[in-house]
Order: sequence, then structure tokens, then C-alpha cells
Amino acid sequence: MSKQAPGVRIDGLTVTYNNLPAVRNVSLELPPGTITGIVGESGSGKSTLALSLLNAVQPPGRIAAGSVEIDEIGNVVEFAAEQIRRVRGSQIGYVFQAAQNSLNPLKTVGKQLLDLGRSHGVEDLRGLVRDAKDLLGRMGLDGARVLDSHQHELSGGMRQRVGIMLALVLNAHLVVLDEPTTALDMITQSTILKIIREVHEERGLTTLVITHDIGVVAEVADRLAVMYGGRLVEQGPTREVLASPQHPYTRGLIRAIPRLTGDIDEAQALPGRPPTLATVPAEGCVFRERCPLRMDVCDTVDPAAEAYGTRIVACHAVKVKEHA
Amino acid sequence: MTVVLKKLAGHLARGLVMILVVATISFFIVRNIPGDPMKAALEMKVAAGADPVAAAQEVKVIYGFQPTGSMWSQYVDYLAGLATFDLGTSTLHAGQPVTEVLTESAKWTVLPVLLGILMSFLVGVILGVYAALRRSSKLGDILAISGSLLHGVPQYVLGLLLAAIFATSLGWFPSEGGVADILIEPGFTPEYIGTLIRHAALPVLTYALASYGGWVLAMKSSVVTVLGDDFILASELRGMKRSIIFRYVARNAILPLFTILALSLGLLFAGAVFIERIFNYPGLGLKLIDSVTNRDYALMSGAFLLITVAIVVANILADLLYTVIDPRVRQ
Repeated sequence: MSKQAPGVRIDGLTVTYNNLPAVRNVSLELPPGTITGIVGESGSGKSTLALSLLNAVQPPGRIAAGSVEIDEIGNVVEFAAEQIRRVRGSQIGYVFQAAQNSLNPLKTVGKQLLDLGRSHGVEDLRGLVRDAKDLLGRMGLDGARVLDSHQHELSGGMRQRVGIMLALVLNAHLVVLDEPTTALDMITQSTILKIIREVHEERGLTTLVITHDIGVVAEVADRLAVMYGGRLVEQGPTREVLASPQHPYTRGLIRAIPRLTGDIDEAQALPGRPPTLATVPAEGCVFRERCPLRMDVCDTVDPAAEAYGTRIVACHAVKVKEHA
Repeated sequence: MTVVLKKLAGHLARGLVMILVVATISFFIVRNIPGDPMKAALEMKVAAGADPVAAAQEVKVIYGFQPTGSMWSQYVDYLAGLATFDLGTSTLHAGQPVTEVLTESAKWTVLPVLLGILMSFLVGVILGVYAALRRSSKLGDILAISGSLLHGVPQYVLGLLLAAIFATSLGWFPSEGGVADILIEPGFTPEYIGTLIRHAALPVLTYALASYGGWVLAMKSSVVTVLGDDFILASELRGMKRSIIFRYVARNAILPLFTILALSLGLLFAGAVFIERIFNYPGLGLKLIDSVTNRDYALMSGAFLLITVAIVVANILADLLYTVIDPRVRQ
């Protein structure tokens, strides 16, 4: 069992649903001990990418190519069913959206905790309950009361903390959070983000946060990756990407954020719509239909992801500018 | 537990009102059926060779009252009797109290109905789970189709088919002659129990087959719904064992079926009318038919009432059961 933050290397990952690619040729590295944020619109493939880390893409989806190499675990893409089951929960934690009911409505949290322990062969179940109470207490909840509650007796923010507890209680050091703050009110959102940040530091984790909210990433992530139409179009240190976005999609995204101060019209929505699985172009750049910098080459050649200093960008226009 | 008691009190109150309403309606409907029960009883006696004048007197005695009062006063008498569990006297069964006639025949309905439903519930639920898990395979399809087919065939058609095949053509089971062979001494002997089973087999099988399809279909769709729930994927992503996830699915999926189970238990007493007629099985249903053809008002009202009570009680049980097994309802 890994006792420290593992590094993760995703290489050339392609995930298809009925032969339509939801994630295409994505390469991404999660350095040990960092928080990486993946930002994208609905249908950009970010959740599919997150599930790939646990080799849990739901049928009819399947991983068609590529690898997900995790330190001290291995390439999970090649794992057999029982092998990957043992890794899930115990070494890789997954936290669901708060709006999704991730708990069995008929059982108390405590009983589900025991089911989790039994599933992973935990012998000291008392110790497990103690750890769970500690974790819940750490997140500002009354552990004993929460363990004795059913899902419907918990608020959205409480459920989310229970989800985080269940992801970490077996001492996983790689954690994936899928939209951890969606459907929570602003104050609860900031509490949860603070918890994510602090728990990440305290336990020494490698964390991946999936979100459509660029504000969430700005607040917690060290590194930022932007997804569009199943491709990773830009990635780099959060601060740098936000300060000087290179890919025209990233720029459009950031320009579309309304500010608290100033004229509301300063925020400009991106024209057009994101592609769906069926409409995503088979060749050429996936973003060209909405791109202000579109060139002829964009219609035929899919831009490769190329490194520019600390940044990786997949765009013909950026390449042209660099070489000019 | 206090929640359960409070609920029970509420249910009992509502149940009583429902029973009262049904008792009232059936009382007036029964008395508006064309035909005269006194005439029917008189004709029966005369046909049996009794002296017409003496027979008329006898009939009056059997009724226990002079049916000359208004419908309203008869109704009040009836309700007063109900309060003391006195349902009146059967004319068909010369002077026997209706309660006695009903309890005697009800036991031959309750057991086969319970047996048939529980059998089909068990088999149907298990196969329904299987049909849901293997829904893209041949066997899953076959199960679902068998469910739809059997669900679509009316109970009495099934009964007639079974009677034609197993009783008439093959002769494996009797299709008449009551609950037991008349030549076998009643008692706790293998012979007597054997003949009881042989006589009950076809009715039980009909009840079971008639409700089997519903269970398969209901359980299949329920399991498919639960499989799509977020917490199942969440449990998978937490690395829960398959056996544990399976239990989660099964327990969540079976919940809505308990309501249907309780309702169908109540309704099958009504369904027994057809089945018992087909197999000439002397239970509550057959008694009801007899009472109708003979214009035995008291017995008719009593039988209707018993069926109503069965349904009301089944409903109450279903709701209480829910309180126990679903924490969300306990609130």
C-alpha cells in the first residue's frame, strides 16, 4: 500500500462510446503531491477521463487505447476486474458530486462504512470507525451522529464531507473529486474547497478535481488542464494559465466569467455550442467551428499537444505565433 | 416504535371507515338485485318436498326477522349486528350463522391463495433479478417475454387451460369433489394430506402462474432502475464487493414490490371467485357465487365484507411493513 502521494501518468488515452471518442489521445501527468484541476463544459469528456483513472468507464464506453500509470499500483488500464476492485477505495478515492446520491438510502453511513471495510478486508473495524469519526470531526462534523444517520438526514454539505471521508478512510493517497462543489451554496462551497485543500496537505495526497467552474480550480489547483470535445487543449500551472491563456478556447472561457465589480457586459459568452459525441469532427481541430483564429490547416489536421515552457497547448495558431 | 403505533391507529381508523362504506354500499346493492330471497328459500324447501305452508313458516324463522320493515330499519339492524360480529343467518345453509359459513369456507381460500402468491413472488422476484442482470442476453429476453405472456393471460383462461390439460386430458389432478377425497377419513394422516394437496394443486398453480408474470416484470424494471442509481456506481468506485453491491440492489429494488404483494394478496380473494368456480373448489369464491345464485343476502354481504376487510388489512400491513424496512418512511 502506498504511504505517500503517488504520481500519475496518463498517456495517449482514448475512450470511446460505441466507437465515438469521448476522450481522444489525452496525455496528462499528475505530479506527486499536487492538486490538478480539469476544466471543461458538459460533454467535454472530463468525467470520462476521471473514471478512467479507476478503470471504471461505464459500458458501452471502453478504454480503446493508451495507459494510466500510477506509482506503486501500475497501469490500471490492464487490470482485471477483481484486481482493480481492490485498488478502488483503498488506494484511489473517488468523491461524487454532492447532488448525486452516493449513499445507499436504506443503510446508515456507519453500516456502509463497515461494508466498505469488509470489502477491503479490514480486520480492525473498530479502528476504521475511529478513523472515520476523526476524519468527520476534522471536517467539522459530529462523527458519531453522522455515522448513525441515513443519507436523507444529511444536508448537501454534510453528504459531501461523508463522501470525502469514505474516499480517504482507507488511507488512499490518490483522490479524484468529480464536481465536488456543484449544487452547494456559496458558503458551503468555500468550506468544502478549504477542506479539500487542507486535507490534501495534511494527508499528503495527489488530487484531481474535475469541474466546470474555473473559479473552483483557481482556488484549489496547482495545475490546470482544459478539456474541449474530448481533447486536452491546454495545461500548465494554474496561475500562469489564468494570467496568460494561450489556447483560444481557454481565452474565451476566461473572458466569459462575469466579475463581481465592473460592467456585466464585459463578460463575453463564447459563440456557438460545444460539440457532442455525435457532432465532434472526426478530423482537424475540435474547436475550429468556434475559433476566432481558424486557419485552413485546422480543417484537416488535428493539432498536436506541444510544450511551450511550462505550458502544453494543442493549437495551430499558437504554434504559428511561436515560430513567427 | 411509537411512530409505528401512531400509524397503526391512523390506519385502523381509516380502515374502519372504509369497511363501513363498503358494508353500506354492498348492503343496498345486494338488496336491489332482482329476485326475492324468501321466495328462493321457499322454492328450495318445496322442491325438497316440504309442505308449502310449513315451509313458509320455516323460512320466516330462518330469517330471524319479518322482512317487512323499511330498507332503512333493516340497514340499522344490519349495522348493529356488524358491531357484534353478527352477520346474520344464511338462508342457503339452513339457519347457520354467516360468520360460521364464511370461516369454514375462508380457510380453503386463504391457504391456497397465500401459497400460490408467495410461491410466485419468490420465483418471480428471483427470476426478475436475473432478467434484469442478464437483460441483454437470450435467457434474460426469454424470462421477460414469459413474464409478459403470462401477465397478459387472464386468470380464468389460465385456470381453464390447466383444468383442460392436467385434470381432463392427463387426469393427474381432480377438478371436482371438494377439498379432499370423500372416501378418505379426515385427520392428520399422510393419505388425507395427500388428497388435500392433490385437490389444491391446480388452484394453487393457477394463482401462482397468474401472478408470476407481474413479479418478473416489476422486479426486472425495479432492478434496472436501481442499477442506474448513483449510489451503485459510487459503491463500485469505492471497491465494494460484488456480493455487497448485489445486496444493496436487491434490497432497494424489492421495496416497491411489497406494496404490490400486499395489494395482490387482498385482491386474490376476489380472484378466487373464478378459480374456485373452475376447479369446483369450495372456498370463499365458490360460496360467494352460491350466495348470489340463491339470493342469500346475508351471506352475500358477508362475503363482500370479508373480501373488503382482507384488502384493507393487506394495505395496513403493507404500510406498516414499509415503516419498518424503509428508513425514509419512518420520518
